[in-house]
Amino acid sequence: MADQPRTDSQLLAALYQPARQGDYPRDSRAFVRIDTSLRVYWHSLFDICPGLLALSGPDGLAIFRPFMAWAVEQGCSFNWAWYLWVYVWLQQSAFRDAVDDELRYSLMAASAARWATGDRSRQRGIVLGSAALPDLVCGWKASSLEAGRQVERFELEEPLPAPAAAFGYFTSATGDLSEGFPGWTDLPR
Amino acid sequence: MRLGFNFTLGETTPLVRRLLAEGRIDYVELLIDNFLTLDADTLAGAFDAPMGFHIMFSRFIEADAASLDDMAQRLRTLIDRVKPLYVSDHVARFSHEGRQLYHLAEIDYQADYARVRDAVDAWQQHLGCQLLLENYPSILEGGHDAPAFFERLCRETGAGVLFDISNAVCAHLNCGVPLEAWLPVIDASRHFHVAGYNLSILQPHLVLDTHDRPLSDETLAFIETWRERFDSPGATLTYERDDAFVQREIDNDLATLRTLFAQPEVRRHG
Repeated sequence: MADQPRTDSQLLAALYQPARQGDYPRDSRAFVRIDTSLRVYWHSLFDICPGLLALSGPDGLAIFRPFMAWAVEQGCSFNWAWYLWVYVWLQQSAFRDAVDDELRYSLMAASAARWATGDRSRQRGIVLGSAALPDLVCGWKASSLEAGRQVERFELEEPLPAPAAAFGYFTSATGDLSEGFPGWTDLPR
Repeated sequence: MRLGFNFTLGETTPLVRRLLAEGRIDYVELLIDNFLTLDADTLAGAFDAPMGFHIMFSRFIEADAASLDDMAQRLRTLIDRVKPLYVSDHVARFSHEGRQLYHLAEIDYQADYARVRDAVDAWQQHLGCQLLLENYPSILEGGHDAPAFFERLCRETGAGVLFDISNAVCAHLNCGVPLEAWLPVIDASRHFHVAGYNLSILQPHLVLDTHDRPLSDETLAFIETWRERFDSPGATLTYERDDAFVQREIDNDLATLRTLFAQPEVRRHG
């Protein structure tokens, strides 16, 4: 068992690694502190994409625990692309054949929404494309006080070339697609 | 004491406008980085009331200089136009080894002091104004170092504290930080936060700053005990609610706060 930590700084790596929670006694504040952190990741995933629970079962752990371990191994930063890395992991998992288009789009929408609320650059929108799906998913930052961020899914009359990887993205500085297609960028880890 | 309400989402615009129209609040605190895409005139006219600016995700202790400079340019335009009551930010860990923490972590007040002080100096220079820094709702023993940390930080940087009253109560309940340890910080502060909190799912229960329920009896007792020290000239108190927007609960809490801070001279000598 690990020593009882005095500060969060001694727990940081455990705050996003479910396997590390067992390093601390079940009845300790450190254990509950880690649990509290992990629950935020859990809810960020399954509350936003409840379709994942149909695959994993109601506690989500069949997806959550192995995905989080894999994401750490892969060096994922848990930024806005986090949901799309879930899809990448699903494609390598036993759930591969159970992932339908609706779930794929929900993961894309979740990533677009997270970008639109969390990105602090001057860019106003993000466009996500999938190699396996015809529609694009866009996330737009707030354009008015009341509107908040917007996420939309649409199909272009003249489709863009598919991204080389499972997903690609580009950003827009204008809040629309008037700048044209600059090409796909690979997902950030 | 002027009362305010935090505005983080476009969806709560009707609620905030109603609270202003009914005189339940006197100003609005904007989670300003959610509204950086709005032009300054639009933002200035958003509410017929003064505004405070609360920065959530500058990550000024961790972010690179270029991105901070870019964000500061946009913030300064809004600060110059709106002239907010205050500009505040957070002292916390937002990431570890490049990975985002979805539940922000508390810094190590002893080991991280010099780095934070330098970051506060730089961020204030970028913003061109005094920065207020919010205290964390401590969970572990290191929280005992927080009051002295903030006193020293303010002394050496000229920054202030956005003193979160209920965060101090969380720290008191979680790790025993005496509420009285914050009195020097309270005496030096003019801007305050308050919110409801909840218990962790697992035991031993932690007290978590959830902003989703009414104010606790402990929080209200803390305010009542030190009401005159909170209520300095120009003081503000922002009531935060980020989930479960039960309007009756919000109205009740704001009415309770109004009553607590009403007519201090009459109450003091009555």
